[in-house]
Amino acid sequence: LFLSIQRIVPSLSSTVNYTGPTLEPVVTENSVIRQKIIDSQFKCYERMNRAPPYNKKGLFCNRTWDGWLCWDDTPAGRLTAQNCPDYFPDFDPTERASKYCDETGNWFRHPESNRTWSNYTLCNSFTSEKLKMAFILYYMAIVGHALSITSLLISLAIFFYFKSLSCQRITLHKNLFFSYVLNSMFTIAHLIAVVPNPGLVKRDPVSCKVLQFFHQYMLGCNYFWMLCEGIYLHTLIVVAVFAEEQRLHWYYLLGWGFPLVPASIHAVARARYFNDNCWMSVDTHLLYIVHGPVMAALLVNFFFLLNIVRVLVTKLRDTHRAESNMYMKAVRATLILVPLLGIQFVIIPWRPENRLAGEIYDYIMHILMHYQGLLVATIFCFFNGEV
Amino acid sequence: PACLAAQHLIAATACQEADYGWMIRHFCLRQFQLSMEGIGQRLWCDWDETVGTYGELTNCTVLIAERLDCYWPNRLVDEFFVAVHKQYFRNCSPSGRALHDPPNGVLCPFIVLPVLVTLLMTALVVWRSKRSEGIV
Repeated sequence: LFLSIQRIVPSLSSTVNYTGPTLEPVVTENSVIRQKIIDSQFKCYERMNRAPPYNKKGLFCNRTWDGWLCWDDTPAGRLTAQNCPDYFPDFDPTERASKYCDETGNWFRHPESNRTWSNYTLCNSFTSEKLKMAFILYYMAIVGHALSITSLLISLAIFFYFKSLSCQRITLHKNLFFSYVLNSMFTIAHLIAVVPNPGLVKRDPVSCKVLQFFHQYMLGCNYFWMLCEGIYLHTLIVVAVFAEEQRLHWYYLLGWGFPLVPASIHAVARARYFNDNCWMSVDTHLLYIVHGPVMAALLVNFFFLLNIVRVLVTKLRDTHRAESNMYMKAVRATLILVPLLGIQFVIIPWRPENRLAGEIYDYIMHILMHYQGLLVATIFCFFNGEV
Repeated sequence: PACLAAQHLIAATACQEADYGWMIRHFCLRQFQLSMEGIGQRLWCDWDETVGTYGELTNCTVLIAERLDCYWPNRLVDEFFVAVHKQYFRNCSPSGRALHDPPNGVLCPFIVLPVLVTLLMTALVVWRSKRSEGIV
């Protein structure tokens, strides 16, 4: 998930000059920017044509195209706002541009030039700080994934070297760690090769879409292996009560094979309906093709774990005390991780409005997202009683 | 008399809306009409074909605004383009060229299907691991 990074990090080219201090649209030379603006203009006039006429009482300002954004019919005396456009590298699309319709039913005119004027000042006023913060988050993400890969490889080495540890549960851990390693590798590849490279994105080679496909596949693998761990524990404790040997083929199928399905469907849908450059855009609901199953897997996992805890607490309280202790520890580790890993999917829509709180939120989300591998290795291996 | 003369002077250097309206209709619109007829009515809704001509029309209105010392865009530009759209793009899809999600009728199956398959697959794995225990 790179929602915040991709929203904030603009392409690293130079800023566009504006005429004078009043930020007015002027026909610019840069053809890509012009294309976007002309496209918006076309859509604006189409909308103005098709939208029904203003049907409320009182004075209002007529719908208009101000050169950058489309404004609807607005009642007199109201300040209307919408998100800033993304035409220019230093315009932040999460900020708001506003336009005031005065009491006489005319759009606000700037006192200096006496021309109709919309307020785009917020769009580029905080961009340099946000850019700095975006870079900090970007480097944090890379460091987080690198740390994760290191700690996970160490854990894998420990698991492979000490044959005495080996059992079915450890086999599942090995697969889980391996999927984390691959996921982190693909994420780092994406962050280093694609995100800071607008030239590559503009060229849009097939390789960067393939990279995205594998990235989504690995994301699926990650969460489906967590699900496998949950199913294994559930079968072990609730269904078969401590009998050891299960056949792991189905787990391998669910963990490595099945994530191909959502990833492929996403690739097909993206290529057909939302074929943007390098499939980088996060503004599309098509991403739920992959994130939906992941959330389903997390929910199912969570219910399995709750069920396990219920069984352990009620049925095994008096009998089998020693074994239940050991399994309680195992379950506790998994139970801590499931909500931790899933929380970002629930909380991300509710970023706080306040600037400082928003920054703190971003840092915490990035730590949760990118240091997961480190967390998993720590809980499942380094703090594991058996190891 | 001096005041009246001064008023006329100010009016002469400011933007003459009537002139602007006339000029964009006679210069810019003519050119646009010729180009669009050259493209052919069948392709008017094909944005890739018409984007160049549309851009030139916009440019033309901007240049004339500069000539007449009017600011761009303005109320006349809005009216002008609304009329152009009514005449040339009335039957086109309004979405333009930018990327957008498919309609909900297509999007929902795309999302719901993997979720259902996930749940089915999970149930299958749980059932199969249960069964392999039943043998013992």
